[in-house]
This record gives sequence, C-alpha cells and structure tokens, in this order.
Amino acid sequence: MMNKNNPHDSEKTEKPDFFNMDRRTFLKAACLLGASAFLGTYRTELVSALEMAETKIVWLHGAECTGCTESLLNGGDPDVIAALSALNTKLAYHETLLAGQGIFVDDKPANNAELNSEILVDELITEGNYILVVEGAIPNGPNGSGRFFVVGDRTFKELFAKAAGNASAILAVGTCAAYGGINSASSAIAQLTDYRGVAFKGADSSGGMLRELGINKPVINIPGCPAHPDWILLTLSAVVLGKIKVPSDLPSVLDRYGRPRAYFDEDVHDECPRHEYYERDEFDTEIGGHKCLLKLGCKGKHANADCSIRKWNGGASMCVQAGSPCIACVEPGFPDSSRPFYQPGSGSSLEGDSHSSDSDEGDSYEKYSRDKSSDYRKIRRDD
Amino acid sequence: MVKVTVDPLTRIEGHLRLSTEVNSEGIVTDAQSSALLFRGFERILQNQDPRDAALLTQRICGVCPTSHSLAAAGALDQLFGVAESVPKDALVARNINQALNTIASHATHIYVLWGPDLANPAYRDVLTPLGETGSALWKELLGRFAPISYKLDGVPVPVGSSYLAAIPEKKRLQEAIAVIGGKMPHQVTSYPGGYTYKPTIADIGKLSSYYLQVMDFVSKYTLRVSFEDWIENTYKASSPQKAVSFVLEHLQGLVDKTAGSNNFTREVGWGDAEFYAAFGSELVGETLLGLPASLKHDRNGGYSDPSKIAFLAYGAFYKPENGDGYDPNSPAGDRFQTSGIVTGNLEYQNFDASKITESVAHSFYEGSGDLHPSKGETNPVGDPAEIRYDRGPDSRYTWSKAPRYDGIPCEVGPLARLLAMKEPLVTGLALAFAENGYSAANTYTRMMARIQETAIIANELLKWVTVDYDPNGKIAVHTDLSMAKDSQGMGLWEAPRGALGHWVSTDSNSKVISYQPVVPSTWNFSPRDSSGTPGPVEQALIGTKISAVENALGVDYANPVNILHVGRSYDPCIACAVHTIDLTGKNTPATLKLV
Repeated sequence: MMNKNNPHDSEKTEKPDFFNMDRRTFLKAACLLGASAFLGTYRTELVSALEMAETKIVWLHGAECTGCTESLLNGGDPDVIAALSALNTKLAYHETLLAGQGIFVDDKPANNAELNSEILVDELITEGNYILVVEGAIPNGPNGSGRFFVVGDRTFKELFAKAAGNASAILAVGTCAAYGGINSASSAIAQLTDYRGVAFKGADSSGGMLRELGINKPVINIPGCPAHPDWILLTLSAVVLGKIKVPSDLPSVLDRYGRPRAYFDEDVHDECPRHEYYERDEFDTEIGGHKCLLKLGCKGKHANADCSIRKWNGGASMCVQAGSPCIACVEPGFPDSSRPFYQPGSGSSLEGDSHSSDSDEGDSYEKYSRDKSSDYRKIRRDD
Repeated sequence: MVKVTVDPLTRIEGHLRLSTEVNSEGIVTDAQSSALLFRGFERILQNQDPRDAALLTQRICGVCPTSHSLAAAGALDQLFGVAESVPKDALVARNINQALNTIASHATHIYVLWGPDLANPAYRDVLTPLGETGSALWKELLGRFAPISYKLDGVPVPVGSSYLAAIPEKKRLQEAIAVIGGKMPHQVTSYPGGYTYKPTIADIGKLSSYYLQVMDFVSKYTLRVSFEDWIENTYKASSPQKAVSFVLEHLQGLVDKTAGSNNFTREVGWGDAEFYAAFGSELVGETLLGLPASLKHDRNGGYSDPSKIAFLAYGAFYKPENGDGYDPNSPAGDRFQTSGIVTGNLEYQNFDASKITESVAHSFYEGSGDLHPSKGETNPVGDPAEIRYDRGPDSRYTWSKAPRYDGIPCEVGPLARLLAMKEPLVTGLALAFAENGYSAANTYTRMMARIQETAIIANELLKWVTVDYDPNGKIAVHTDLSMAKDSQGMGLWEAPRGALGHWVSTDSNSKVISYQPVVPSTWNFSPRDSSGTPGPVEQALIGTKISAVENALGVDYANPVNILHVGRSYDPCIACAVHTIDLTGKNTPATLKLV
C-alpha cells in the first residue's frame, strides 16, 4: 500500500519556500519533514527570523510529571536550545530549567529577577507579549479554591489566571494541560480535586480552567503523554513565524479538540508498523510477539496522532513497535477512554462517556471500532 | 531570627517549599519541607485491571518513569505468582532499561538541575577577590555550568559548555531506551511475567553504539582519567582506603601539574567530576590536597544526630547469573545493588520491609497513627483554609507523609545505595568524613555518590547488553487475569533518587483493591513524624550556614545558596512524593502481609 505520507512521495516537500507558503502547505510540509529536517534544512531562512522581535515563552508547570519537559529536551537535531535560538525565541521562564527559584525573606520576595523566579515570572507577565505554554493540569479543588496546589504562596490557579490573561497565545502541552489527563481520571476523589485542562475538561470544551476563570483566549492543544517534541517545536515555530495566526487561523488548523490537524489527523492504526498482520488477521495473544496487538487491547484505531509515521525519540521506535498496545494517550478521555489497556473492546468513548468494560473480544469490539472510525473520520481534513 | 523561604525550589521535578529559620550568624535553626501539590494518584487504580499499573504509575514521574513501571511490574510479578519464573533475558532487558534511565536521570540532575547552582553569583563574589586562583575557578564554574537564559547583572551569560554538551547525551540515552522500550519518557515494555519486546541482535548493536557515544562525552567532559582505570581502582578497589587513595593521588597529580599556572580547564585534565571532587570539598580540596580554596560543600547538608537518621536501600538490578526468576523480598545480596540499612553510625543491617511505617501527624491528612503503607488510612483535609504552609513545625504543613524505618527517618538515593553495597570509593569518603569530624552524609558525598553510581552502572550496563542478554532467549511467561485473583504483590526497586516500593492487592475478580507506592522523595522530604522528629532534608538543613562557602562574606539572606544545594542534592521528585490518598475511607483494608 502506498504511503501517502512518505516525504519522498510528496512533491510538496521538494524545496518549498517556507516564507512564501500558505499556512496549509506550511503545516503539511513542516509535518512531513519533522522538526529535525525542518530546522536543519531551513537554517538560512530561519536566520532571517532573527530580524524579527524576540519571542518570549513563559512555560508554567501545573500538576504534571515533567515528562513533557523531558520530551521537549529530546527535540530533534538541532536540539531544543539550537531550535529556540534559530527562532529567536527565548525560554524566559521555565522552572525546571532556569537559574532562579522563589526566595522570600520574612515573607517578602527577595533578591531580583535574575535569581528569584517569582519576581521574574511576575515581571514577565506584567510586560506581556509572550507565548504561554502550560504543562500539567490545574486543580480547581477543594471547593473552587485551587488550594490543592499552592506555589510561591499563591494558588497555581491564581498564577495561571494572571499569566493567561496577559498572554498573546496559549499552548497547552501534554494531555494533562490539554484535557486534565491522568489527573482527571475517574476515581472516588476526582470531583474533590476537580482537575481541569486549560481549555477543556476531558472532551468538554466548556469545562476548562479558562472558562472557569472567565478568560476568553484561544488555545492550541498539543496532547500526548508525553507530547512529541516535534509537535511542540513545530507548532511553536508556526506560531512564532506567523504561519499560524492566532486566533484567526485556529478554526481551520485545529480539530474539535483543539489539536493541530497537521499532527493529529492520522490514526496510529493506519500506518502501524504491524499493520500487515492486521490485514492478514494475525494477532498476538501473549506479549513478546511481533503480530498485530489488537487482541492485547491496542487502541491505535482510536488514537488520532501521527506516531506511526513520525515515531519517537529520533525515529527509534514507538509503543506498538515495542510490543505494547497503543493506549491512545492523545485523546481527551485518556486514560479512562483507553482502559483497561490490555483488554480489547473496552474503554469508554473519546468523550469520556462510560462504556461497558465487560464486553468480550468479539462483536462488540468490532462494532465499537466501526463506530469510532466513523466518528474520527468526520473530523479528518477534507482533502 | 529571620525567616528564609525557598518556594518553589525550582530545577527539580515537582513543587517543593523549604521554610527555614535562620539566626544572626546565618545558621539554619529550624526547617520544614513542604510538598505543595496533591494529585491523588493511586485512587485511579482502584477497581481497575491491575496490569494497567505499569503504564499508569510511571505517569507519576516523567524523569524516572522506568523505575515506576518496573516497581509496578515487580508488584505484578508477585501478584500473578510468576516472580520466580520471569525469564532471565526479560530480567536483563529490564536491567538495561533501568540502567539507561538511571544514567539519563543522574546526568540530567548533575548537569541541568544541580550544576547551574555552581554558577550562582555568590561564588563570583567569594572567589574573585582570592586572586588568580579564585578567578580561574569562577571562570570554570560559570563557563561549564551556566544554565540557559542566564543573566548576571543584566548581562546575558552564554550557556555553560558542560550543560550544553550534556543535553544531546540525555537525548541520546532516551533514544537508547526507546530502542528497547518503545519511547521515552513513559516507555511501554514493563509487563508482569516479562517484557513486551524482545530486543534483537540489531538492537544490541544500536545500544552498544549509543553506549560508546555517551562514553565519548564522559571521557571529554566528565572524567578525564581513563574510565577503565577509574572503575578498576575505585569500584573494584580491594578496600575503601585504596579507592580513596587512588582518587587523591589522581587529583594530586592534577594539582601538581596545573595549580602553578591556575589552569583548571578540561584540556589539562580537570573533567567535571575531577573538578568537583577536588574543589567541592574542604576536607579533600583544602586539607588533603592543599588547595587555597574550595566550595566547602562537605560542610553543609549533614546530620548532627546519627541516632535520628539511617540510609535505606531496597535493592535493584537482577543478577543474570541467578537465571530465571527472582525473590520479590530482595534479600541481602540478591541483587546487583543490594537492599540494606546503614545506620547513622555506618553500621550495617538487613532490610525488613515490615518495619516501614508512615505517619501523617504533620501532613494534610486526618488521623495521626503510624501505619504500614499497605494499611494506610489517609483522608485529606477538604477545607481550603487548612491548607497552609506558614504555621510552623507543629502544624500540618505538607502533602508528603512521613515514612520511617523502625521509627527512624531514612535518606534514600545513590549515597544510601552505595553505602549499602559497600562501594569502596563512597564508603571510603563517608568514613573519611566521619573520622574527621564531618557528617558522613553531606552535599558533597551525595553528589560524589551520584557521579560514582553513574560510572558503576554504566560499567555494568555494557556487560548486560553485550554478555548477559541473549536475543534468542525467552522474554515472557504466560499470565492471564485469572492468576491475579485474591492476591497481593510487593515491588521493591530503586528509582534514580532512591528506594521505591509499590504494594498492590486484588479481589476475587482480579480487580485492584489497593495500590500504594512509597517513593524516594517521600522518605527524603518527609515532614516531622508523630514524635516530632524532622525528616532527612529538614535535619540536613538545620545547622547549615546558608550563604556561599560557609558564609565567607557574611550572611546574605536573599541568596541562600547552601539551602539550594542541600535541597537539590537529594534530587527531589515531588510529583512522586505526593501520592497516597484515601478520601472516603472506603478503601478495603489491605490484607497484605510483609515478610
């Protein structure tokens, strides 16, 4: 079967002029090339970006595992530091990477912005004109207070409100920031903690923290557990270079869950490295094999992401290639929509509705697959 | 008395607050450690398929996901009754995955999270008045370790050379994990009874290639003496004294060769490890090597009362020579890094998991009893007004619980592991400090242990990859859900930052009744317990002089660099530390018995 996404088959990736490209072609080309080739091939053009004003990034950490920052550091070749430099973009605030920390002497902020990260972040927010990146979910509980996460003597909810209010664009990186992710998984305490994504709670676009705070700002979601570094860096590139204009272009470049279609239109199943076994009805039923993982619970059919084409960690591998079923970690209902991970025909729908987890491997799963595949096809781009 | 509070302590995983009281001499007289975030993680596993635990729990931490998934796999091995039959090659594949994650995590900590503190302007202020030697030292500190987006007095500082060179290596190590683990962070191959992927002969070639590239970085930046010589004369030394002597002689050679010209560059032999080994310590650098200055990191982060601290390791890395299967109880000597307890006076004891209790007396949970983690009853406060961090050490002030071993707070991590396994160099350093009136554990020994552990695991990794792993071997034994009915499991393992245990129990439908991780940063950053004994980092902060080089230029409350060093020396992972929750009290009491 012809791989329509193979860059070698696509004439559009041959010597494209990035700076004169329309938005759609840009996204496609950037998507096909990957961050590595993009930033490497277009180094010369990107140098002219240095003439643009410096773009600042304020990166906030909510309830997270730092996995998305770790993933960012796995960014292509050139690495993330070179990439940011090529884009004349400064990571102005990022608490895992920068020098400063919050310092208080007798409860008053001490020192200056070079050493005190709390002073720095407040100064940056006041200056405005930055892209806000959020990693991690935001607790609203208990009772709407946000006090399940207090940092620098203020709730994270409060810091987020301040930073979001003055941001020129907002990226929610990782499934936690986009939809709540694992923090919002069904449990006896989920209502109490009341974790929110930036613009969504699960698939509910009215349940995000922005709406709760009464802030109306457009958001680009880059989900994934973690988010792929190409998705992060290429989306940032597109915003910095003005290839995606915020907010005017967003309705056409994002899907209904706020994800750039360039990366989240494909599903993992279609280009899966084990796809030929699926075609031949050859399935693994024990771990450690090399056949299709459908009967070990693979949710690749319901996962809208280009992992099978892009792969992970410099193309080294991907989940299903390593014998583990796709758990559709880019979907708004993750993890509830995918678990039990190792059982086929189970899990709730993408919308996070409850779905029987007792179904057997047979008919119900096939029916479920058909339902879901028709569902996702509705949001595929129409070219 | 001045209140000096670091909130948040950045360049760590997660969110941590260190509150201190500092006297007029600049010495910490009281300290509290507060984990600032509540996630309620393990509740999402209740009533679920236990097999999901290996993938779900690694989402606790994106820095050490492999460790969580392998601790979970260990608990599940026992839960499914297959711990004794996991194939040897699956165990070796787990070892390789864990080794790569540990090395990547240590490298990230050393260069990206901890190193930037060496470029703190306080060192410029102390060192540059000391003439050419001091200026040369400051030049090295700033030139090697400055982080990104760094400014001093408004002037942008270029990214440090070691920092910059370490980022691609960290990336390379994660690529290596992806080769045999699918992707990273959150690799996917841990599974009860084995490993989901059977690495091929081509993968072994790739891993060897990655290894050589990383070692190329090590030889250029970290350790300028031959790696083989270092391993042979430290880790494989016949006694702790011989290991320390080798290092001292090596460093003395560098001093003799370069001190006259004040040339402390890598080019003349001062790798980052050698540089820190000499200049990080007053005892090693000034007393033993006769250097004119040091950072005196051995003077901070120590424990003043050895009866109130111990060092704890659960043990990690299966021994391939033991063949298939392993003992989930991790008895002494059973793993490459053994389990064990080392007391504050450096006496050795065998580890007994039944002696672990957790106190919530000073945590944001109701109740006050000291319970085994498998029987924890932890109900979080639900009143927002109760969640406050400014009410002093007698209050509830953190989301972390206070684990204790036989009632004693324990430090976990590389230092504890290397003491438990009697690694010659770190044991020798600890003894030398103890004999010379220092605390055996201090910021310097913690960092030296992390560096040395990276070396010995890298050395062992090559053996696992090229000698022990058989690509034609068996990678998994059969498991199915029916094997997990009414069962229980304990996964004792090590994260890069310390001892990590997962406990699980299931009902007659093989659904999870309770799932409890007890993680390293809960040990290291624990609050006071029900008897008021402070946790390890709280003890380590008390008595520390807050400003650079033992307050050499007086007390600067606004730049408490030693508080930062002490806190970060434990490699905190606070997302891990904030774990246990039972809001409703409806958790079925676990029936897990520990042996």
